[in-house]
Parts: sequence; structure tokens; C-alpha cells
Amino acid sequence: MESGSTSDADGADQRVGVLVVGAGGIAEQHLAALHKRGDGELVGIVDAVAERAQTAARAHGGVRWSTTLSDALSWPGVDGVIICTPNHTHSDLALEIAAAGKHVLVEKPLATNATDARKVVDAYEEAGVTLTAAHTHRFYDYGRAVKRAIDAGAIGRPSLVRLSILGGWIWPDWRGWMLDPARSGGHALHNGVHLLDLVTWWIGQRPVSVFARGQRPTSPELDIFDHLEMVVRYDDGAVAVCEMSRGHRPAAFGQRDVVVQGNGGLLTLPWDAEASVVVDERGPGLLATAGTDGFAAQLDAWFSAVRGEKPAVSGLDGLLAVAMGEAAERSISLGAPVSLEEVTR
Amino acid sequence: MRTLRVLLAGFAGFGDQDHQTQMYAPAFERHDGFTVVAATGSVAAAKELGVRHVDDLASALDECDVVSVCTRPDDRLATLKEVLAAGKHALVDKPMALSAADAEAIATAAADAGVACLPAHHLRFHPAVRSAAAAVAAGRIGLPWNVQADFLAAGGTPCPDGELVNFAVYPLDVVTAITGLAVRDVFVTSGRGDVTVLSLGYERGLNATVTIGRGPRLAGGSGIGLHRYRISGSHGTLTVDTAKPGFTLRTQDEWQTGWVGQSTVDSLVGELHQAITTGRRALGPADGVAVASVLEAAVRSSRNGRVERVAS
Repeated sequence: MESGSTSDADGADQRVGVLVVGAGGIAEQHLAALHKRGDGELVGIVDAVAERAQTAARAHGGVRWSTTLSDALSWPGVDGVIICTPNHTHSDLALEIAAAGKHVLVEKPLATNATDARKVVDAYEEAGVTLTAAHTHRFYDYGRAVKRAIDAGAIGRPSLVRLSILGGWIWPDWRGWMLDPARSGGHALHNGVHLLDLVTWWIGQRPVSVFARGQRPTSPELDIFDHLEMVVRYDDGAVAVCEMSRGHRPAAFGQRDVVVQGNGGLLTLPWDAEASVVVDERGPGLLATAGTDGFAAQLDAWFSAVRGEKPAVSGLDGLLAVAMGEAAERSISLGAPVSLEEVTR
Repeated sequence: MRTLRVLLAGFAGFGDQDHQTQMYAPAFERHDGFTVVAATGSVAAAKELGVRHVDDLASALDECDVVSVCTRPDDRLATLKEVLAAGKHALVDKPMALSAADAEAIATAAADAGVACLPAHHLRFHPAVRSAAAAVAAGRIGLPWNVQADFLAAGGTPCPDGELVNFAVYPLDVVTAITGLAVRDVFVTSGRGDVTVLSLGYERGLNATVTIGRGPRLAGGSGIGLHRYRISGSHGTLTVDTAKPGFTLRTQDEWQTGWVGQSTVDSLVGELHQAITTGRRALGPADGVAVASVLEAAVRSSRNGRVERVAS
């Protein structure tokens, strides 16, 4: 499919042929979303580990598999690629895909530093194909509801946002790549970019600086911070407090909390606002509720972008989130605020 | 119950604040252990309260046991020195002092006189805060390592000196009351509309982030729009919302919340009575010193954009 093409000569939507790179847990989310669509087709799966690639390919309809991206990019029918590999591989893979002229949806973060993210953005600009960063929270019901309320002017001009996404330990043991800052970029880039991107989308202003602090409640031996506080200042004077945690106790703890204060009102979305509270032998908790599948909504937006519409999350959005995450990591190291200009210059 | 005679000293605060009329005088009136005998500072305010006005603080001190000090913030040190030197107990509007040095001087004067001197940190006596402090002290969530707090006022008159020095007193005092830990350093992110974010480093590695500010008036009237704490510990997490204990009232025309618990100012006045009559002092000038020291560092941070150490 050529960039910007939307339909066959007879007007029917073209099917989008998708290659998935990386066969871990996040790939399963994207694959599940892809299987729901009638206008998308899984062409094949790539994973550096042959057994994992083969197993995933078999589980998803016996599609083709490979351990090498360059091989897979030559397969017929590949229009776009979803990158689901460890973070430090994202930028190189994205550059290879751009060189092949394929569209891409990159799991967040776009890269593990702003310099590499910029190279990716430039490459896709030059190639004329679509680059989208998978900031999935923009497609969750809560993210969209808050955005709608702000855009509708319900609270006036936002001056303060607090977004907390708190959970207990969900990662594997010491061998987990996300615990290695060289591979994940640090927690501010691994999970923190979700919050940094979301609050920036909500506020709609340019971030100026980040002051961040990290803690390691799960273990002092961690090489990353499993709890983050990131205070972002925007060019219009708005401030956002982003709190990201994988270090809360009990381990099953899961809370999300939103506050947005504007000059015309106050929006709160407390942890128990979206679901019924159940108190059982495991203590109080929330019942799972049926909502919009964020991955499906994200895939829908990506398909639209592949067909020529403006991406809902652009490469520049992905670059900005990476820059903010990098600024947060630097700020933690320095114990001082870091300007976005310092990171992106 | 022993009845203590109260002198209302002053009706001033930041800008047009008059917490004496709005908060302390009514609480003294409601408490069986106090009787208000006189007032200084404003003939009109004294008349409105139905209290005898006295021109001179020194002469009025002879006829009271305790003084409720609401003189201008920059005049509180001088007033308190006179009050404490006369051996009178004191309740001091917040902030107790505008500098750590002034706060220290007040603390020294109170210690020398051997009297009770309570800064009006009444929100530490909020029922939800009290129960949280007791739960943390009992180890219910293990060792605390992080606190997130919001103190956002809804409507009201903006403080001409800025909401940092006006509002931060309350959450700073509450976090210390809950955790028992002192602030070591502070970084301030100043926002628009007097929104301020305090990033605080405490003893024992505890971090806290506190938002303060004044937003628009909300349906239901002016007051506190959001005042809450989340305390994360090694073995659990505690969320404290000071809207509880409360009820929600919705009618055809409005949406209001109502308070179920005891007034925090009434609790403060009760603590004052207990401190004077029993010597058990859960709150004292050291708490005012702690807050003044943090605020002093916070103001420096807001000006220079750096993390500032808090003088210990």
C-alpha cells in the first residue's frame, strides 16, 4: 500500500498487512486487537528467539515467522509493522522499517533517548510513511473522557494536573530487561512516558522543564526507580504532577487517580470512579468493567493514519514524550530540574 | 472544668483575613472551659462579637489566662514576646511567624515562660488525619516512604502574599503529624494562578509532593475544594480524604456536601485547654518552627529554582 492510499480503485477499503516484531506479552495485546478487525491481516511474526517466534506464529493462525526483520520486510503483503520489542531496540528497528518504506506503530517509548527518537522522526518524514508511537492511554476511556471535558471548556484553562498510576510489582525477576536501564531507558521512559504524554495531551501546551525524583521501595538493589514523581512545568504556567509506581504494597494494589484544576472548575476521577467496589477475602478491590479496548482503538487510529489521515499520536508526540522521560531520568540523577531544551538541543 | 479567661488580641492576618472573628472567637464561645473577657486591636470587631474592647495589650493581660493572637503576621513576634513574658498562654493564628528565626524566638520565649503556645495548625486535628496518624504510628502500613497531598481551595480572596506562605502551613503540618518526620529539603515548582507544587525530602528517605493553590469558586460555595493525602508504606497504602466524614446533599438546584465530624478549630481549642490544664502538649511552638523553616526554604527555592536545604 502506498502512503496515503485509502482505497482500491473500486472504492473498497484495502486490507492492511501487518508484521509484528517481538512476541512478548504486549504483542499479544496488539495481536488480539488486530484479530478483531476485518480489514487487517497478520502477515507474520518476528522474534529474535526462534522458538518464541514459531510458537507465536502457530498460535496466531500459522502465519510466517522469522528471527530476522530484514527477511520479514521482504515478505509480500506487509504494509506496516508493530514493534513490540525491548525499548533499546525500538529506534534501530524503526529506522530499518522506514528504509523499507513501511508504516510503523512503535510500542512506547519511541526510543530510549531524544537523539535517537529524533532520528526516527526524521527518517519517517523523509520516507513519507506513517510513524505512530503507541501511547495507549490516549485511547483508554478515562484518557479520552478527561480530554473531552477539558476541550469542552468544562474546567476552563487547566492550571494543575495530577495523574497517578500506581501498582505493585508486575515484572519478572532480576533477569527482566525492564530492570536494566540500558535496555529500558529507566522507568521514566518505560512506563513514565505514558503519563508524560497523557498530561501533555490533556493540557495542550509545550512542556518546559521536569523535576523528578525516584524511589526503590521494592528493593534498594534495583537499578531503576520503581516509584517516580515527575513534576512538569508548561510554557503557559500550567503544572502537572505525574506519579508512576510499580512499588506499591500490597502487590495487588492498583489505583489510578486524576485531578485537573482549571480557572473554571475542578475535575476529579478517583480510583473507584469507574467500577463497583468489591470486598472479599482478599480485601477491598474493584470489579473489572467492560470498556473500550484501548489497543483496538489505537489500532483503529493507526489504520486510519496508514490510510492517510493525520496520526492521533504522531512521531513528534512520541519524541516529546521521550524527551520528557529523558529529562526526568536526568533530573533524578542531578537532583535538579532539567529543561526540555537541554535534552532536545 | 476549669474556666480560662481569653483575650482576643487582634483581628488581622494576610490581606483581609480575620480568623479571630471567623474561627477562634466562636470556638472559644462554644467551649465550656473558656470565657472571652476582652479584645484588642479593633473596636468594631470587638463590638460585633459583643466583647469589651481594651486599648492597651499590656493592661489587658492582667485579666486573662490565655491570649488568642491574630495580629498582623509581621507583628506576631512582638505581640507574643509581650504575651509570653507576662506568663500567659497563647493560641497563634497561622503562620506563627514569617521566618524561622522569629519562630525560634517565640519557641524560646514560650519555653522560658513555661506556658503553652499553640500555632493554629488545626487541620492536624481533623478526624481523618487523626485516625491516619494513629494508624501509621501503629504500623498499619509499615514504614512510610512516600506521601502525596493536595490542598486546593475553592474560591475566596487570594492571599496578597501568595498562597505558598498562606496554605502550605496546613499540609506541611499534617504530613509531619502523620509521619513524625521532619523535612530536609524542598523544591518548588510555581505555576499559574498561584498553584504551587512542593517536592519535599524528609528524614528516613520519605518523599512527599504537595500541591497547593486557589481555584475557582465551586458549586456549594467557597472553601476547600480538595484536601487529601496518600501515604505509601512498606506494607500498605493509606488514603485520607478530609471530605470525610461528610454527606452529599443534592437538590433540584444545587450540589452540597455537609460535614459530619467535629470542627477542627473546636478540636484545636480543646487541645489548648488540655495543654494549659494538664500540661499534655500535642502541639507546640516547635511545630511552628518546623513549618516556618520549610516555608523559608521553599520561598528561596521558588526564587532561585534550586533544591533548598531546610535549616534544622
